[in-house]
Amino acid sequence: MNISLAQSESRLGWKLMAPSVAVIVLLIIYPIVYNIYLSFFDVKLTGAKVFIGITNYERLITDTAFYSSLLTTAIYLAGTVMGTTVVGLLVALLMNLQFPLRNAVRTLILLPYFAPVIAVVFGWQFIFDPVNGIYNHMVVDVLQLTAKRHNLIGQPKTALFVVIIFDIWKHFPISYLLILAKLQSINKERYEAAAIDGCGPIARFFYITLPELYFVLGTVVILRLIWNLNKFEDVFLLAPNVQTLPVFTYYTAFTGIIDQGLAASISVIQFLFLSFLIFFYVKKVLKW
Amino acid sequence: MSQKRTFFQNVLLAVAVAAVLLFSLFPFIQILSTSLKHQFDWGNPSLIPAKLNLEAYRELLGLDHKDRAQVPQTIKKLLDNPLLTADQKEKIISTYQSTSDVFPFPRYFLNTFLLSASAASVSLFLAVFGAYALSRLRFYGQRIIQRSILFVYMVGGVLLMVPLYQISVKIGLARSIWGSLVSLLLIYIIQTLPVSLYMLGNYYRTIPYSLEEAAAMDGCSKSGAIFKIIFPLSVPMLITVFVYCFIIAWNEFLFASVFLRQFHDFYTLPLGLQSLFVSKNAIWDRIMSASVLTMIPVLFCFMFAIRNLTSGLAEGGVKE
Repeated sequence: MNISLAQSESRLGWKLMAPSVAVIVLLIIYPIVYNIYLSFFDVKLTGAKVFIGITNYERLITDTAFYSSLLTTAIYLAGTVMGTTVVGLLVALLMNLQFPLRNAVRTLILLPYFAPVIAVVFGWQFIFDPVNGIYNHMVVDVLQLTAKRHNLIGQPKTALFVVIIFDIWKHFPISYLLILAKLQSINKERYEAAAIDGCGPIARFFYITLPELYFVLGTVVILRLIWNLNKFEDVFLLAPNVQTLPVFTYYTAFTGIIDQGLAASISVIQFLFLSFLIFFYVKKVLKW
Repeated sequence: MSQKRTFFQNVLLAVAVAAVLLFSLFPFIQILSTSLKHQFDWGNPSLIPAKLNLEAYRELLGLDHKDRAQVPQTIKKLLDNPLLTADQKEKIISTYQSTSDVFPFPRYFLNTFLLSASAASVSLFLAVFGAYALSRLRFYGQRIIQRSILFVYMVGGVLLMVPLYQISVKIGLARSIWGSLVSLLLIYIIQTLPVSLYMLGNYYRTIPYSLEEAAAMDGCSKSGAIFKIIFPLSVPMLITVFVYCFIIAWNEFLFASVFLRQFHDFYTLPLGLQSLFVSKNAIWDRIMSASVLTMIPVLFCFMFAIRNLTSGLAEGGVKE
């Protein structure tokens, strides 16, 4: 018995951790590294590959489609991140008030987040359908804003706009949840004290609520940036013509003139962006 | 703050709440409504069907006679033509029958269910022990493991798409259907494992150490404590994590489309729905009722797990 308690604890720890670590190393860490390796090859769908150095990257920086995809991604990220945060904040403030059936409402508005993307995209397609959709009915027949019906999802420019709205709809619940949790933890007495000092509701919002929320709002923004940079399904299934980086990678890797090496190099670039964001999140938000 | 609201403020509040509810729920109502409408009614903005149409549901659930529902009127007239031989008629009918199989809902449902349930089970099993080690034990290399898990947890599936496909091609898994299913199962496990570790680890931290210490006094070993103390105490959270993993796998489209594209019989629901949408058999009521049926299990899980899920999510345990 010369094993110390700490040592035996450490052994048990490793025994329990080992299967998970093995799975993660083999199926996540190794593929990430392998992806970098693949980006220096001309890779066929069948697995055959030829070393071509940095040719893939050279092709990317001269490819206008790549830049247009970067631009689309930037607009998509800016629109969705701002939208989700602002809508999430407003809804959280609303749900923090007292009203009848509040708990039911709080739960119901989480539905968009949990519903399968695939099961809601076609509903959205229908809403914007040029022939049957309620959107064109409202805009053309009821409000008479334009004379002719538009196929918003058919054109890449307007489709991007629809995708952003869809994404805000789908993800505001999660930012609302995070913000509401913080709102509920603010000490009520501070509001009462401020009210006694003559602060109106608007002043109370700016002097008490907002400073308390800075941190959680920052968290929401950076988490949305991370998750939305990874988003594939929401964009591809609703509007396959909107080519954000993940969609662009998918097309390059699996459709048309298949070029998996090139796709790997796009993934590497996206991975660098992502790592930067995650690093920022870990340092600033989790403070490790 | 117990401030009395004026009448005007109350109205404003009601309108705001109604607007949020409408924004959140309108697409769902639209989907349900269209799934119950006849074709002539689609362009009608009213959400209540003029005449209830259950055809699409019956067809998807296989409650309908295949031949009757599928053959269009004009063809039926053509079939009445006495000049056609029985053989020719048979041929014409069969071309229409084949399309009725285009969305074998029960089959896709089963495929998706089995795949998601297995992935969620394996992931949960691994996480139960891993999360315990991460949150309750001190061991060499713990910090780096903890950070790596947090990191991989945020690496999206898209970034692993090419390498994982190439690896499974290289070791020959992508060639056969069973190999593809195994690849897919493994991929769903890694998509859910980091978030399970994270959620469960957070939960374990809330269980007081004193319970384990008391058990240790009574002669219970560390590993015994997992089964006798931690396990029973975290059953609600285990169910929640399972449900969450299940939903992630149930909703997954990207990898299913990469690995199962050529194996029609093994499509998962998301893949089946997407190929129904782009196929010539795309009819709104059919698509919408398939959407509703795909959504139902998720909504069921959702109601079941909502309490723990929201608190877990509010702590940042999210995987998208």
